[in-house]
Amino acid sequence: MESTVPTHPEPSALTALISNTSAPSNPYSATTLQILHNLEHQHLWTSLQVHNLEVPSADSESPSLSHFLISGIPPHRVYTHPDEQLYMLEKGLRDEDVDLERMFVLPTAQGQSWSLRRMAAVFDSLADPAEEFCSLSSSAGNDAEDRGTKANSEKAAKLAEYYERRTKAFRTREWGGKRILLAMVDKGMGGDGTVVYYIVQEGAVKPRQN
Amino acid sequence: MNLEPSLPIPISYIAGNYFVFSIDAVTYLRREHHICGVLMGTLPQCPQQNVFLGLPLELMPEEARLLVEKGVACIVDEIKAQKHGMKALMAEDRKKYLHELESQGLQAMRLQHSRKEQQKEMALKKIEDKKLAKAKKMAEKQATAETQVSAEETQADPMIDLFADSQPSSSTPAQLASRPASIASSSANVTMGVTPATAHPPLPLKPADDQLLPLPEVPSSYPLFSHLHAEGYFLSPGLRFGCQYVAYPGDPLRFHSHFVVVSYEWDEEMDLMDLISGGRLGTGVKKGFLVGGAEKKHKDIGEQKDTVRTFSLEWAGM
Amino acid sequence: MADTDEAAIHLPRDSAPMDTDLSDETQDFRMLNNISFLTDGSQLTLPKRGEKDFEPNPTLYQADILSASRQAMHNALSYPRLHHPRNQIVGVYAPDGPAPPPSAAGEDTQLKSGAGVGIHPDSCVYVPIPRGQFFKTMGQADRWNRTWLLPEEALYLLERGSLDIRWPRSMTGSDEEEEGSEGSIEDSGIPMSLQAAYACFIGRGGLAVERFTVYSGLKRLGYTLIRAPGWTDEEEAEAEEEAPEGLISRGPGLAGILGQFLQWFQSPITTAAGPVAGVGIHRSYNDIYRKLAIIPWHNPVADPSPPSRTHAPYCVVFHVYKPSTPFRKTSPPAPDFRIAVVNARTNTTIPTMSQIGSLLDSTPFDPPKGEKMERMLYLRLRQGYRSIILAVVDQGVVSYLRVADAGFGKEKLYAAKAQAGNKRSGFTRPKPKG
Repeated sequence: MESTVPTHPEPSALTALISNTSAPSNPYSATTLQILHNLEHQHLWTSLQVHNLEVPSADSESPSLSHFLISGIPPHRVYTHPDEQLYMLEKGLRDEDVDLERMFVLPTAQGQSWSLRRMAAVFDSLADPAEEFCSLSSSAGNDAEDRGTKANSEKAAKLAEYYERRTKAFRTREWGGKRILLAMVDKGMGGDGTVVYYIVQEGAVKPRQN
Repeated sequence: MNLEPSLPIPISYIAGNYFVFSIDAVTYLRREHHICGVLMGTLPQCPQQNVFLGLPLELMPEEARLLVEKGVACIVDEIKAQKHGMKALMAEDRKKYLHELESQGLQAMRLQHSRKEQQKEMALKKIEDKKLAKAKKMAEKQATAETQVSAEETQADPMIDLFADSQPSSSTPAQLASRPASIASSSANVTMGVTPATAHPPLPLKPADDQLLPLPEVPSSYPLFSHLHAEGYFLSPGLRFGCQYVAYPGDPLRFHSHFVVVSYEWDEEMDLMDLISGGRLGTGVKKGFLVGGAEKKHKDIGEQKDTVRTFSLEWAGM
Repeated sequence: MADTDEAAIHLPRDSAPMDTDLSDETQDFRMLNNISFLTDGSQLTLPKRGEKDFEPNPTLYQADILSASRQAMHNALSYPRLHHPRNQIVGVYAPDGPAPPPSAAGEDTQLKSGAGVGIHPDSCVYVPIPRGQFFKTMGQADRWNRTWLLPEEALYLLERGSLDIRWPRSMTGSDEEEEGSEGSIEDSGIPMSLQAAYACFIGRGGLAVERFTVYSGLKRLGYTLIRAPGWTDEEEAEAEEEAPEGLISRGPGLAGILGQFLQWFQSPITTAAGPVAGVGIHRSYNDIYRKLAIIPWHNPVADPSPPSRTHAPYCVVFHVYKPSTPFRKTSPPAPDFRIAVVNARTNTTIPTMSQIGSLLDSTPFDPPKGEKMERMLYLRLRQGYRSIILAVVDQGVVSYLRVADAGFGKEKLYAAKAQAGNKRSGFTRPKPKG
């Protein structure tokens, strides 16, 4: 051993990111950044954004807490409703054929206090997927047509049919309602920074079978 | 089976629990109201196993309350009803009831007797067949004949016969054949004792007003229970699966469950770790983890009917 | 217990798991038809589970199967309880507990209150002519050769169709011609229905429904059950006076470990004064490990503490015997299992350390024995030095949990010799689960 004075290691990219960008007043920001980092580098999401929302605290009288949501586009589809999957199978469509869409991620850390009220408030802050998808699907539809002229128009027709069906399914909630990805980072005593992701959907949405 | 029992169905309240004893009521509640309860009794025809259980049906307080609120059932103080009912029994009713039981017992005996005769014939025939088969086997040196016969033997009668011999162990072909026929035929005129499942008759079907009890007390998960029930789910107690309720999309007789369910109050603290472990638990058995509870609205919105919010969790696979 | 049903899907078809508990989930009653009622009990094979569907669909086919399943269930549940005169056993309900027969009423007035010596006061059905296999493990005979049954025994036998219980004359209407029926427990000739039996026996003499659920469930599997001393928990008032003494004064049992921890926190062993292992030259790892072991641990072999009082529901209510254990009801042997019954609806939290501690302390010392136990570390830990089975009942559905006092502190891993070829250790590692 040469040196007896321990030197601090270089801060990791994540530590640097958190210490450079975090607003110290908000306890959720470090968590948000950590998960943002994880999505970007471990799961290769793109077009990541952070949104700020107001979430009521447990006591309805006290002022609401501000909270962050992350949105981004995953490299491949994260969730397909079982009925949607069946429909796609029938049409001969694969996950890759369908346009990737923006997903919302709720960053949380172990030990945070949550309640149904807060969960509901997060969901209420999300736009109605039916409306959102309508605007999205018109462009997506065009997109599909573009590709259709290049390759095979049969598939394009099927995709168009699929998007139409999907718009309807969103309206009727057949293929599930609003959904977010709940991200929880393992923090605090013994926490190793692992991030786990769970799909949370509004309502009773039947489980996937695979 | 598609009998419509007269409503309201009496639910027996005994020492803090809710029971249904009438098979017609059990079938009806399951078919028409998606209320399954838990069968907790021993099946007399098959008493040494726990896979299939029989009457009574134990209801969760949530189930009992839901039925009362729907006007389908009423809660009866069964201990009081029995005590008073038996005390008030008129000599005439008693005689009539005993007479009824006697004729039931007699009919049961006759049915059993004729069935035994049949079995005996069949058994004898089988022995003959077996002998023949054996001879054939000896002659042809084929190993197949015997196995066929014994296979037939084991599935003697696939239908449940209501009046089959309730005493097992007395029907190997050899025993049957050697039993003197005289005993069986003489006993055909003796009456069987009968233990009825329900107390009606001799007690009246409709409970007296002073035997009725108020709405069952239910845990705070009741709004979620009734919400999921209204959505068409069949709900069972869930502790065995690590949750409060297990929700089935159809009759649990025929369908796998979809959700493990845990209820929260609107402002009750939710440990995120519980959500994660619930999600993990559900995904591991191809079920969703469903949390929910009654929404508390601001008072100024007015006396709106309580709405229940639910959320389903599944592992995202990433 | 996870849903073995779905878990089974992952397994290859041909190797059906042996540990699948069919009673875990509602089974299709059509499968019950496959049980041949006419073979004797020992040959009874359980039906295979029926295939279930994922969700309802509007097909007629599915509707037909469901309707057939329900019909089968209806039929199975309609099966009557009949008593052939040749083997009919008649019992009579005695609502006020054991009492002498009317013929003996004048004989000895002292006996009038107790029906004879040694009859359990909770007994409430007597069988004038006891015969058959059941009375080998159930009931108590009085001096008039009648056998008295406890409420759980009577209800279990009636429910399985093996006992014809009659109402006593005192409870069935008033006939002018019948004089002196007041308090009479003579057979009125009117059979008691299953419904009435539940009303009479559930809740009587401490027989909460969850206790009966456990009793009948295990009886159906062939176990013998008798009430354990913890059945009645009457000392509750006394116990509350003791409570303020606090945790520290608890004995050296498992319940006392909390106190030990508190002492440890106050003790002078800290790293502030230098390394825990001490300064100097260490020549053996074992010495260092021994010095590092500063956290107090519960020694299950230590002198038995005066057992702290157990409280309902965390007390032993049943002694259970395997079917193979020779059993004489007059002098029952040491039980194979001890069971505490917990109602999950009224006890919604996991028992505390001190509840489990006093429960375990109330069971006898039963260390792991035998060559296999000595060799296998994990088997030994699982076996433990004292053990109890918790039957947790959620609305008629029972989950059994075995809780054992495992002597983790006793197992010095550093002292275990590493086996040749296995660098890790000399014990077998359990297979990873999940």
